[in-house]
Amino acid sequence: MLRVTLKNFWGHKRRLVGTSLAVILGIAFLSGTLVLSDTMRHSFATLFTQTTQGTDAVVRSSTKIQARGDNVRPPIDESLLAKVRAVPGVQKAIPRIQGLGQIVGRDGKTLGGNGPPTFAGNWLGDKDLDSYHLVAGRAPAADEEVVIDKRSADQGHLAVGSTTQVLTPEPVKVRVVGIAKFASLDNQGGVTFAGFTFHGAQKHVLKRTGKISEILVKGAGGIAQPDLVRRIHAALPTSTETITGKQLNQELQDNVGKAFLNAFTTFLTVFAGISLVVATFSIYNTFSILVAQRSRESALLRAVGASRAQILGSTLAETLAVGLISSLLGFLGGLGVATGLRALFSSFGAQLPGSGLTLKPSVLITSIVVGLLVTVVAGFFPALRAARIPPIAALRDIAIDRSASSRVRLVLGSVLTGAGLVLVITAVIGKGGSYLLQRVGLGAFLLLVGVIVLGPVMAKPAASVLGAPIARLRGITGRLARQNALRNPKRTAGTAAALMVGVAVVTLFTVFASSIKASVNHSVDRTFGGDLVVGPNTRFGPSQGISPKIAAEVSRLPQVSAAVGIGGGLAHVVDKDVFVSVADPLATSRVLNLDVRQGDLARLQPTGMAISKKLADDRSWTVGTKLPVTFPDGAKVTQTVQVIYKSADLAGDYMLPLQAWAPHAPQATDFAVLINLKKGVSIDAARPAVERISNRYPGTKVQDRKQFTDSFAQGINQTLILIYVMLALAVIIALMGIANTLSLSVYERTREIGLLRAVGETRRQTRSMVRWEAILIAVFGTVGGLGLGTFLGWSLVTANSNSSNGLTTFAAPVGGLAGILIVGGLVGVLAAIRPARRAAKLDILRAVAAE
Amino acid sequence: MSSMTAPPETDIVARAVDATKIYGAGETEVTALDHVTVEFPAGRFTAIMGPSGSGKSTLMHCLAGLDSLTAGRVLLGEVELGSLSDKQLTVLRRERIGFVFQSFNLVPTLTALENITLPMDLAGRKPDAGWLDSVIKTVGLGDRLKHRPSELSGGQQQRVAVARALASRPQVIFADEPTGNLDSRAGAEILEFMARAVADLGQTIVMVTHDPVAAGYADTALFLADGQIVDTMADPTPEKVLDRLKGLGG
Repeated sequence: MLRVTLKNFWGHKRRLVGTSLAVILGIAFLSGTLVLSDTMRHSFATLFTQTTQGTDAVVRSSTKIQARGDNVRPPIDESLLAKVRAVPGVQKAIPRIQGLGQIVGRDGKTLGGNGPPTFAGNWLGDKDLDSYHLVAGRAPAADEEVVIDKRSADQGHLAVGSTTQVLTPEPVKVRVVGIAKFASLDNQGGVTFAGFTFHGAQKHVLKRTGKISEILVKGAGGIAQPDLVRRIHAALPTSTETITGKQLNQELQDNVGKAFLNAFTTFLTVFAGISLVVATFSIYNTFSILVAQRSRESALLRAVGASRAQILGSTLAETLAVGLISSLLGFLGGLGVATGLRALFSSFGAQLPGSGLTLKPSVLITSIVVGLLVTVVAGFFPALRAARIPPIAALRDIAIDRSASSRVRLVLGSVLTGAGLVLVITAVIGKGGSYLLQRVGLGAFLLLVGVIVLGPVMAKPAASVLGAPIARLRGITGRLARQNALRNPKRTAGTAAALMVGVAVVTLFTVFASSIKASVNHSVDRTFGGDLVVGPNTRFGPSQGISPKIAAEVSRLPQVSAAVGIGGGLAHVVDKDVFVSVADPLATSRVLNLDVRQGDLARLQPTGMAISKKLADDRSWTVGTKLPVTFPDGAKVTQTVQVIYKSADLAGDYMLPLQAWAPHAPQATDFAVLINLKKGVSIDAARPAVERISNRYPGTKVQDRKQFTDSFAQGINQTLILIYVMLALAVIIALMGIANTLSLSVYERTREIGLLRAVGETRRQTRSMVRWEAILIAVFGTVGGLGLGTFLGWSLVTANSNSSNGLTTFAAPVGGLAGILIVGGLVGVLAAIRPARRAAKLDILRAVAAE
Repeated sequence: MSSMTAPPETDIVARAVDATKIYGAGETEVTALDHVTVEFPAGRFTAIMGPSGSGKSTLMHCLAGLDSLTAGRVLLGEVELGSLSDKQLTVLRRERIGFVFQSFNLVPTLTALENITLPMDLAGRKPDAGWLDSVIKTVGLGDRLKHRPSELSGGQQQRVAVARALASRPQVIFADEPTGNLDSRAGAEILEFMARAVADLGQTIVMVTHDPVAAGYADTALFLADGQIVDTMADPTPEKVLDRLKGLGG
């Protein structure tokens, strides 16, 4: 039996190539993701080990405010330094000041800020405690002298002696006196760094004297890190904490893991998963067809004495072989994917230590297990079907597939689809309730399974309706194409299902993105009736923000009636670390419409606070409620609720007056300055004046209201493009599935095509016939995917709009969806190229004579 | 030997001149047609007979433009097939030639009627309604026109095939063992019908067969052996044909 299996495998190798490709691509994506994330984890581990090398202990504030994947710690007193130095076993202790500061390049553009942070602080210049070391120039000696990292120098065309600015966020005029490398790298994994003198850093970054961010300690030889930490801790007040260098290393790695790597890996794995699901359909389909085509052969084997188990085993062995070979090839491909992605990262400036890839055996095992699982799951049912072929089938013509119209399928499919629909709709309409997302998720899953079960039942009427115009327009070729798509509904549905899954996900994201855009437009329109906006010009959103001085300067322009800088940061309110918006109350009341329900925003006191109505309702807070607040600098203050507003789109749930915030957040920035012009002043007239101010602040730009909302849309579009690129693989796999099915169909219909050619079908007509069949299948899948994706998009948006403030408006972009439909059709055209050419090239005589 | 003289009053529909077809090369070289020159007059029912391997199917395939010669010429009317492109050959087949094969004559996804009009549909031509009606009536398929091939008996399928061949009024119909897969009664029906098409409608039919009974319906029988025409027989009967075939060792 093994010999039969091997012969089969070899005999059908060309047909199996199509199947294998689907698995290979899916596994390549998966293993590439895993290898890359291992590699990056390893790189970051190396990076942070270098960073913390030589540091035995770190002293810092024990207060930590943490929200939205970000955290802040208040500075500590400089006076602690002497106490630390007095601890026995401390060989060396140096103060570190670290804050944000963007370096401006020679062309006036800010450097970095598209992911990794932009740091400014004091230049340590200590070979034990600092991984930066000078490669040119000298250490800073005056307040306005800085050392910058080599990559920033290269990117910004700055050299020793250059004068430029560092935004902290106010522009500080500085002279570059030194250029440093981080260990062997040009920078610390994409982080830009500007190092001032200790005093300069206190003045420009921390903006406090007598304060520092943390103390780095090197222990005397022979003392263990934990012992050193215990000794230091005993000597310091409880407002500080001391950790070992090793703990710091781990913490830094965990932070990157949480903030970036996990999300990144999950993101890629989700798309790898989608590709594999699509691949599963393709494989299932190929094996189904192969089994059907081989049914005579299987029957003959049964007739000459093979048992069912042997046939099942033989077919399964074949799927295993395909799975194993494809998984291995996929794994190898994954190494290429990982190398490519890594190179891509480096080109973005995120240079990481080490070259080469980190290969863990677990990735190889995962790849093979997943690859085998996918192929075997997909191949099991066809194998079972092969085993069920009775010996008598050897003598009969191949039976016509009747399963498509089976009543069981219709009932089961309808029940599943109905249950899914009901679950999703009740979850969404029913104003949330518990387990909302789980219910939507389960409903979506049932719906997907239901639609796939119903597929073959739907294929016939759907292909009939979709094919009607083709049959009318393309004459007999179109009619033949339609009939071919109809003749084996199960095959058509199975082939289309792969594309449907891919398209559904594409549609879901498209609908979701356009709903976000619509919601942003909506909320900006609702709250901001103004004319101009000054904002950061970074592409990936406000990574650092802009100087709060801009708002003040703009307010003083004669053309401007009011301008408000909206900023914010992290604070601890009552019992939670939260994000609070910060703005000047009077200016806010004149520029924004927050739909205030209680109190008067214009009269919000520095000791007061504004909160959203939703928050007020949730926590049963009212005007007059006193809320204890811890600011980023560690100060604990009580603010009183004085205003309750309804529209939380721009302001969020918490809003503090600038006057309360500014003293406690020296590096406070604004995200944007929103401007109302005086009556009768046109935008064109006022814009140059605002731009003159903006020009003095590098990294900012002036936008009108439309440009402002569009810039949100641009950010979303960029994300969407990235998602489309990820999903392209799934669509390509679906495309190969269609191509593979068609090739098998063409092979199966050799005689028929030969006959058609003999009685006068031209090669062109033959190609057209195959092509239209492919288009029909593709459009069938695309339409299903569009429907499914739009429905799920709607349910997600609606569910979200019930539970939060972000998404309020559902929008299905007609243009975008039409585009998806066209792409779906194109997928059909592309998939048909090879099978159509093959069909047209068939030797008529051989085709007519074929048995 | 090899030349056949047509009755002087009829036109020649198809002819092969010095037609040679060689398959393979070297050791495995097989000469399927060996300098065959033959003419097929219009309005006649010609049977090409011969044992298997005699080259009779190859001759028909080359005459019909389904296969090409190694040397020599094949003409349909005044058109030399060797000079035509695939596209021109295809158009020629659907405009001027009708086919009836031994089996698998019909496209399974099309109804009987759609199969009959297939060549005209492929050409984008409207069938002549009157002619189509009379063809369908003669074939006797009136009530089964909406059926798919899988719902028709073997004999009915072959009748649809013949109707398709007739429907486009081709210059010549090539039939390749049209009764090979049928029982004798259904076979006789088809052959009678083909003979009637020649006698009543003036159709030209060239039929390849190894069945002496089938050849008995033809006006003329050609005998092929080893790629050459070895004999011609006017008004063949099954008995005469059988005798002749025995002489050929078939």
